[in-house]
Amino acid sequence: MSEVVENPRGGCVLAGINSVLGAIDRVCPIYHAGPGCCMQSTASDQGQSGNKSSCFVSSVSIPSTNMLEREVVFGGTQKLQSTIQGAIDIIDADAYFVLTGCTAGIIGDDIESITDQFKEEGHQVYPIDTPGFAGDSNLGYEVVWNTMINQVVEEPLKKEENLVNLFGIIPYHEPFWSGNLEEISRLLKKLGLKVNTFFTEHQNMEHIRTSSQAALNIILHPWIFKGPARKFEERFAVPSIRYPGLPIGASDTKRFLLMVGEALNLDDRLVNQVIEEEDDYVYHYLAQSIGTLSWKRFAVAADAGTALGITRYLANDYSFTPVLVVITEPIFRQEDKERIIAELTNLEYARPPKVVFASDQYEINKVLMEEEDLSLIIGSSNEEEVSSLKEVQFIVAAFPIKDRLIFNRAYAGYRGSLTLIEDLYDNL
Amino acid sequence: MAINLSSSNLATRENRLGSITGYVGDLHDLASQSRCGSLKGCGRCFSQSSTCLSGCALSQLGGIRDVAVIHHGPSGCSATASSQYVVTNQVAAKRGVVNKSVYIGTDMDENDTIFGSTEALLNIILEVNRRYQPKVIFVSSSCATGIIGEDIDSVVEEAKEQISVPVIAVHCEGFKSRIWATGFDISDHAVLSGIVKPPKEKRNTINFKNFFESARDEIKEMFKHFDLDPIFLYANATIEELEHLSESVATTCICGTLGNYLGNGLEEAYGVPYIRTINPLGIAGFETWLKEIGRVAGKLPQVLAYIEEQRSIYIPQIEEVKKELKGLKAVLGMGPGYTFEVSRVLNELGMEVVWALAWHYDKKYENGEVPPAMSYLLDNDINFEASVADQQNFEVMNILNKYQPDLYLSRHPGSTVWAIKQGIPAVYVADEYMIFGYKHTLEFAHTVLDTVRNRSFEQNLAKRVKLPYTDWWYQQEVGSFLEEAIS
Repeated sequence: MSEVVENPRGGCVLAGINSVLGAIDRVCPIYHAGPGCCMQSTASDQGQSGNKSSCFVSSVSIPSTNMLEREVVFGGTQKLQSTIQGAIDIIDADAYFVLTGCTAGIIGDDIESITDQFKEEGHQVYPIDTPGFAGDSNLGYEVVWNTMINQVVEEPLKKEENLVNLFGIIPYHEPFWSGNLEEISRLLKKLGLKVNTFFTEHQNMEHIRTSSQAALNIILHPWIFKGPARKFEERFAVPSIRYPGLPIGASDTKRFLLMVGEALNLDDRLVNQVIEEEDDYVYHYLAQSIGTLSWKRFAVAADAGTALGITRYLANDYSFTPVLVVITEPIFRQEDKERIIAELTNLEYARPPKVVFASDQYEINKVLMEEEDLSLIIGSSNEEEVSSLKEVQFIVAAFPIKDRLIFNRAYAGYRGSLTLIEDLYDNL
Repeated sequence: MAINLSSSNLATRENRLGSITGYVGDLHDLASQSRCGSLKGCGRCFSQSSTCLSGCALSQLGGIRDVAVIHHGPSGCSATASSQYVVTNQVAAKRGVVNKSVYIGTDMDENDTIFGSTEALLNIILEVNRRYQPKVIFVSSSCATGIIGEDIDSVVEEAKEQISVPVIAVHCEGFKSRIWATGFDISDHAVLSGIVKPPKEKRNTINFKNFFESARDEIKEMFKHFDLDPIFLYANATIEELEHLSESVATTCICGTLGNYLGNGLEEAYGVPYIRTINPLGIAGFETWLKEIGRVAGKLPQVLAYIEEQRSIYIPQIEEVKKELKGLKAVLGMGPGYTFEVSRVLNELGMEVVWALAWHYDKKYENGEVPPAMSYLLDNDINFEASVADQQNFEVMNILNKYQPDLYLSRHPGSTVWAIKQGIPAVYVADEYMIFGYKHTLEFAHTVLDTVRNRSFEQNLAKRVKLPYTDWWYQQEVGSFLEEAIS
């Protein structure tokens, strides 16, 4: 239902789909949409994600049918066919995915009949018939994985006991996605695992095709990927565990590693040894810089995954007091809201903060303004203004991020937690 | 042209100006075909991303101080709101003013596309008015609202009855034009039809259409010599300033594509002269432009004195740097308001334009004449290969690969990125005043030199990055995917 959303975060479902596809090596999206949909959806996620955009094709180099009045009236499948053919001729990709904008969705172009023709000729062309108005960027992440499960992932020829799939860190819609994936992957490799991140180390369509061979899906997110996880289980017998949000810092990451160890029945000694090593690494540094940061009463305004990770870390490991957490993406299922609230209520060292679900910047600003006794706000570029009005310390640590350049910076895991503290200090 | 200010809608550039987005040839052919009326634009059977006219329209309107833009469409349409906030706040902070404008999405969903959402839109307008008390509310349509036939004009009429500030319908159905610059005209139309009032008195102001007023201070200073006070539009402009645009001495602009509609509209409706010269980039452009303003404002002697004084400072320095630029080969890709102006400046600086791409081409402006930038090149017998393409990165890359120029210049950052990946140094002409007047022309010349002298990043990157384009494509003609002419 139409409603007032001041300064919305992220784009429509196309933005999410485009971001995910853009992070897979040698994959080419093809927009069957209006002339502006590709640029708008690129600008909304990749354009606000720490100034990094996908390398293989992005924005101006992405094929698009640029549907005009003629296509609206007479249908756009002919233009789509020649655009796909052109894309195959001009762009040397491993796979092509056809995305549908609102226009194609409303007029009801049958894109599957077109992609089928190309499939018959042996080209890897896949339809994603989910028009822009179907949802937001987050939904785009699930839509891509549903498409992969339905059309790309193959029946497992064998099972790999030590292979895991990592889900829940959304490329570009999470500005620290590559660094976070690298850190989590580094830790899992220390446990002797092989990790499908799908988006780092030039991982590609082949990793997706064979992801059914994994022993476990690890979902690092409080609510996303429920549907795809069920399909993975039903079709390929890959079970999933969900860690609610980013693990940040020694306590949180330990909890995460123990959960993985238990799910895969890993050798306790190995898991504990890794935890001890990493613990020592972090505290070896923390011990060298005590008292550089004063104690803070903080608010977080961020997507649920980031908000949970940062709140748990600063409350449980760094003695800060959580006062307010604003979850900024729309969350539709009550069970998901409850899971998020439970995480924020069961903090080991602190009293539970006030939790607010709000996507409209007007409301977000209002709750932040009303909270009187704050000395730190952690949020997105959108919270910069309210923070400066309140004259409290502010760091940009969540999507959208306009004013930082982020390559491989990570806040997740052990090493990421040190970076978060460094950033807090830089911004005093 | 006849500008119809009683309708909230206006014709596209294709329909008004015969604008095209597909052509390959050279400048002389493009011009002679435009003049004799035989020029037909081509479509493409393969295309890459273009851009939505709503971006041009709503970023212009959203920059006005203390207004609300309501973008009625699915969430993706209002996706650039955050960038809009950042830019708005930055340009406001730079000038030391506060801009409280807001950008609202209405988050249309699937149900709305089936059952419509005019009732919700009315409530949104009322709620936005209550929350922010903006001075004007712009209500924009989108592709989705256009296709389902949502009647935003009636909603706006209904809202007007209930609230006191102007509520203006802005028609931004992205599918209606292949030329995103139509969006500039849409924003001008909204301002002309909804805000500008008939003149009560003449003022010594000059309407200056630009993007982000980065050269505001120096231009204000310059115009003091001629007893003129520029009103920069639209970033940071106040509604009060806009109401009085009809009282100015003249209207001018930094980019013909940007200023054309407002300039002609104010001239037609209120007799405010529109300065129709080449634009103030480079030496010839700056002088021609300033003299015309002097003539219109009755200040020609003061202008000539100013030009003489400034020439003595800058021309020797520009002559000096020209020696080092001589012979550098350049390819350009910009909107037509810049491509043909910057080509002229490069020529003036002794560089060779080997290919110029314009993102679109207007056969004629509202007054029926070929755009002045083009006329100037023809009158001075300057010719080079040229094409018209709405960005179309694959065509840009093909041209760069064939000509291997020393330099690529673009006003779109996404376009320079790909040139650099191909190993070609690139200048992103981001600031609209980058080549303005003598001083910035000199600075621009130095920027070009800095860019071509150290090519370490471009060369090292190009060695390591695998581009997506096939070898086959690089061997094809640029226009291979153009279809037969469309009317």
